[in-house]
Parts: sequence; C-alpha cells; structure tokens
Amino acid sequence: MPAAETRPAGRLRRGLTEPLLPFAALALLAVAAAAADHTVLCWASVGALAGYSLSGSV
Amino acid sequence: MLFSPGWRAPVRQSQVLAVFTLGLLLGGTLSATVLWLLSGFAAPLPGAVRTGAILAVAILGVLREAGWIRVPLPQNARQIPQEVLRNRVRRGALQFGFELGTGVRTFVSASAPYVVALGLLLAHQGPVTTILTGTGFGAGRAMTAAIRYASRHDEWDDRRITRMPLLTNAIGVTVLVCLAILLLT
Repeated sequence: MPAAETRPAGRLRRGLTEPLLPFAALALLAVAAAAADHTVLCWASVGALAGYSLSGSV
Repeated sequence: MLFSPGWRAPVRQSQVLAVFTLGLLLGGTLSATVLWLLSGFAAPLPGAVRTGAILAVAILGVLREAGWIRVPLPQNARQIPQEVLRNRVRRGALQFGFELGTGVRTFVSASAPYVVALGLLLAHQGPVTTILTGTGFGAGRAMTAAIRYASRHDEWDDRRITRMPLLTNAIGVTVLVCLAILLLT
C-alpha cells in the first residue's frame, strides 16, 4: 500500500482544498461587506485577499 | 517545504502550522500599525483626492496583473534564509511567518498588497480598521499553508501554480470593485 502522501487525494479533499475556494469565499465576503457599508470587515477581507494573492510555496 | 506531506522533522506539522500562522498574523498586524501611523500624513488631503488616488492605484494594479502595463514593484527581492528553519523548528517557523507577514522582508510579487497598503495610507482609516486589515493580510497568507497542509498531497502545488494567473487577476479586480463600492457609495 503506498504511503499516504503518494496516494491520490480523494475527490472530497481535492474539492475542499481547491486553491480558488478561499478566493471565492473572501471575495463574496468583501463585496458583501462593501455593499453593506461595513468598513472594517470590507478592509479586513480585502487585506486577506491581498495576502492570499501571495500564494507562494511554503 | 514546511507543509509538504513528506515532513520528517521530530515536531508535529500541525504545531509548526500554528506557530507559522501566529507569526504571519503578528507580522501583518505590525506592518499595518506602521501604516496607520504613517497614514496621518495623508489626512490633510481632501477626501476626493484621496479616493481618486486609491482607485487610480487599484486600476493600475489590475492593469499590471493583466500584463497591460509594466510597473516595477519596490519589493525586497531576497529570500528568507533557510537557516531560520534549520535549528529550532517552532521558533524558526514563528520567525519565518513573522517575516513573511510583515510583507517587507521578502518577495511580494502580486499587485494587490501594494494597492491595499497604499489604500490604507491614503484612506487614513481608524486604527482598528487598519490594524485588522494587516491581520487579515497575515490570515490570507496563512490560508495557503493551511490548505496546502490539508490537501495532504504534492499535487496541490501543481493546481496552485495553474490557478495563480487567474487568482492574481481576479483578486486585483475584486479589490478594485470593493474599494470603489466602499469609497464611492
């Protein structure tokens, strides 16, 4: 049996760890906060998006 | 690779992820605190000028990501030395995260962080808003590591690399849209 790290990820895990998923969630949050005029949440979400744009390898 | 599945160090990877995340949050918070202090210099400018400048910078960010214009970024073009992680893994991960979180100690290759930093400088928001934006920046950076760790597979890096152009462009547009809604309505 191959080691855990060499086995292909399951479909559910693959879907939940899709790199575009955090972007979608944060973008929705940021736009909704902007529309609701919730300044703090909007800026914080935009900050998180900026951090996520640096999705370098770590 | 701190969060690759082939981890062999005697420290649990989840612990390393936790202290790395803490470092990122602290680093982002520190940088935002400095930005908030500096943003006082923009306070005398008329609101319309500041809004116009913020949106102009955000548009430049979108155009740069799309490859339509070339704007050299004032990034610190160096890597954080490997020695940081070599001896004491937990403390090294904290330092590594902190340095990444500040956004000034290593490469910052996307436009969005510059747009947000200049936006905070010009908007002169309150301390809570500014500092939480920095904390959000650290959290955003931590998401990559957390998802990488959760994926439990090296194949995730290939997916990330494939999505990066779409991701940076989409983030640039989203930041512009959000700031426009927030500042113009």
